[in-house]
Amino acid sequence: MKLDTSGLESAEPVWATFNELADGFSAAPSFELPNTTDFDGFQKEAIQMVKPAKGTTTLAFIFKEGVMVAADSRASMGGYISSQSVKKIIEINPYMLGTMAGGAADCQFWHRNLGIKCRLHELANKRRISVTGASKLLANILYSYRGMGLSVGTMIAGWDETGPGLYYVDSEGGRLKGMRFSVGSGSPYAYGVLDSGYRYDMSVEEAAELARRAIYHATFRDGASGGVASVYHVGPNGWKKLSGDDVGELHYKYYPVMPSTVEQEMVEVAGA
Amino acid sequence: MTKQQANWSPYDNNGGSCVAIAGADYCVVAADTRMSTGYNILTRDYSKLCKLADKCVMASSGFQADVKALQKHLAARHLIYQHQHNKQMSCPAMAQLLSNTLYYKRFFPYYSFNVLGGLDNEGKGCVFTYDAVGSYEKVGYSSLGSGSTLIMPFLDNQLKSPSPLLLPAQDAVTPLVEAEAVDLVKTVFASASERDIYTGDKLEIVVINADGIHREYMDLRKD
Amino acid sequence: MSKSVVEMPPKGGFSFDLCKRNEMLSKKGVNPPSFRKTGTTIVGLIFQDGVILGADTRATEGPIVCDKNCEKIHYMAPNIYCCGAGTAADTEAVTDMVSSQLQLHRYHTGRESRVVTALTLLKRHLFNYQGYVSAALVLGGVDVTGPHLHTIYPHGSTDTLPFATMGSGSLAAMAVFESKYREGLTRDEGIALVTEAICSGIFNDLGSGSNVDVCVITKAGKEYLRNHLQPNPRTYTSSKGYSFPKKTEVLLTKITPLKEKVEIIEGGDAMEE
Repeated sequence: MKLDTSGLESAEPVWATFNELADGFSAAPSFELPNTTDFDGFQKEAIQMVKPAKGTTTLAFIFKEGVMVAADSRASMGGYISSQSVKKIIEINPYMLGTMAGGAADCQFWHRNLGIKCRLHELANKRRISVTGASKLLANILYSYRGMGLSVGTMIAGWDETGPGLYYVDSEGGRLKGMRFSVGSGSPYAYGVLDSGYRYDMSVEEAAELARRAIYHATFRDGASGGVASVYHVGPNGWKKLSGDDVGELHYKYYPVMPSTVEQEMVEVAGA
Repeated sequence: MTKQQANWSPYDNNGGSCVAIAGADYCVVAADTRMSTGYNILTRDYSKLCKLADKCVMASSGFQADVKALQKHLAARHLIYQHQHNKQMSCPAMAQLLSNTLYYKRFFPYYSFNVLGGLDNEGKGCVFTYDAVGSYEKVGYSSLGSGSTLIMPFLDNQLKSPSPLLLPAQDAVTPLVEAEAVDLVKTVFASASERDIYTGDKLEIVVINADGIHREYMDLRKD
Repeated sequence: MSKSVVEMPPKGGFSFDLCKRNEMLSKKGVNPPSFRKTGTTIVGLIFQDGVILGADTRATEGPIVCDKNCEKIHYMAPNIYCCGAGTAADTEAVTDMVSSQLQLHRYHTGRESRVVTALTLLKRHLFNYQGYVSAALVLGGVDVTGPHLHTIYPHGSTDTLPFATMGSGSLAAMAVFESKYREGLTRDEGIALVTEAICSGIFNDLGSGSNVDVCVITKAGKEYLRNHLQPNPRTYTSSKGYSFPKKTEVLLTKITPLKEKVEIIEGGDAMEE
């Protein structure tokens, strides 16, 4: 099988040609494959050993004023929470965001790679890449690795010449255009809140609050989601981070502790 | 067709724990020196730390053969970098290089869990923590390896600072001075070696600050 | 109308249906809960006046130490002790069971228990369970026929030896015995050799650790030296200590008194002792 490693090639091939010393290092290393008869089985086992970030809640939707993007920040390895501060909303360029669900390394690497490609497109064509084009670039790469064990579920959200754009792209090769998406183990919970509260003509504040609420409720019911609920807005002038709130604090904001009537004072607790 | 390789397993786990703590103007990186396989100790004096650049140290647990291959690869890349740019690689640059290096082996991963500690361009301490296939994150402190589940909760309790994702941003610097951080590292390793059978023998601590790199050792349980 | 299945009287013997079920389940990926294992070093030797048994004190559950100072030398009879390696529950249960059988046997006969009696009871039990009772034992004692030392394997086979080791550290300990054991050791030499063998297991086998327990059994009686040697003290303690400043926040206090439905009658009949 031949792998498409064109995405890994250095953008600066100046010295590589005449520097013998650098041979083997300068050339972008291709993906090495294990010498085994059972590649699928090996992949399964190897990935079991090393991969974090399975549980996630991310969401994005288009509304009147642009695109709202939100995510939690937890990464887990089995039952162990390996981080509570993962940046799941990846800033591809000032006008485009990607979200991260599935394998953390897969998402991080290919989004960075997409960022490079978008910038090269910009330099070559003197105009920013469309969200449609960017999402297709990513989808094509992921499709070329189909069946090899990549695990990516992402949304590409941005603003281009045609206005707001939102695409869902995954490692199975899927690419969907839509108005409203949620990805990850907590997505059913997020959809519940999102679908019931969504209107196209929301203000930015309303939309941000809806996104935040949806993430909070997903973290409340889904054990693999948690940490900080980050909310981004993409408008005609690029993206802006609107808020980042600890979901623990949000809980007390949404469900304040009511001082209830004390039925009996603490004073006369009979000692043993 | 007969099965050629019944159970091809290129990996082993050599155990061990790594810790890194970033401070305002220093960075502490530490690991135990035990290397083991199964119930056997292979050696009691194997350094898991590797100095990658003047202000950049990597600690790695997992499969030490993969770790050694990774260290050699990074050392070579860093040498080329020095020839081309006539300077040492910065810690954030090394962090990205390590991430890419790990990801290039995405389908045949290095079975290594790395934590990178050092000083950034402004001289502030920084710690980067990785998974085996290259996803990484800049954090204030981190623990990886066989004893990480024992160490991490204690570090969380003592050092947890507001998340960098919070908006409005809150001040998030490890509130310890250098000596306190070293003391904390010694304590967590003494505790981990009480309960984790793969952690023990000796503790190697590296402190990186404006003066350079300073190394010290402490004995741990040998059973 | 006849029943298609003829009801058979239950057959005698043991049923291993559950073992088969467990095997099937674990193949399907349903794993049973992990046992507390004593990845262990246990040893015993015969010296001039009797028998010395030794053991480390670490109990593990996978890679985690779950007891740093457990007892692996079990009481069997006043003149017989037994070191256990394997699943902690199995070694404890099997030694307890046999020791009560020995006690009853002593009540019945009015004579001191013999080591071979304990040996037979143990091996018979283990053999019956085809190795599923995972207990590897070193049995030692002194009776009217003199000092005896035996090892018992989980499947029920036994050895009679002048010096013996068992558990994951058995090779490390045996290396010491093979190079230094000789007949007619004195008490102090014997204890020193047992301690050295256990230490070899403690330091070179990750499944063994912490302290050394020794039990000396002679014609005159037994001497149980619990934590005879403690070679692994904590290596570092912070001089300042640690504080946990953030207390649990009290958000609300509410006490609902229990409804008193039960009447307590004072001065009832005293319970019969």
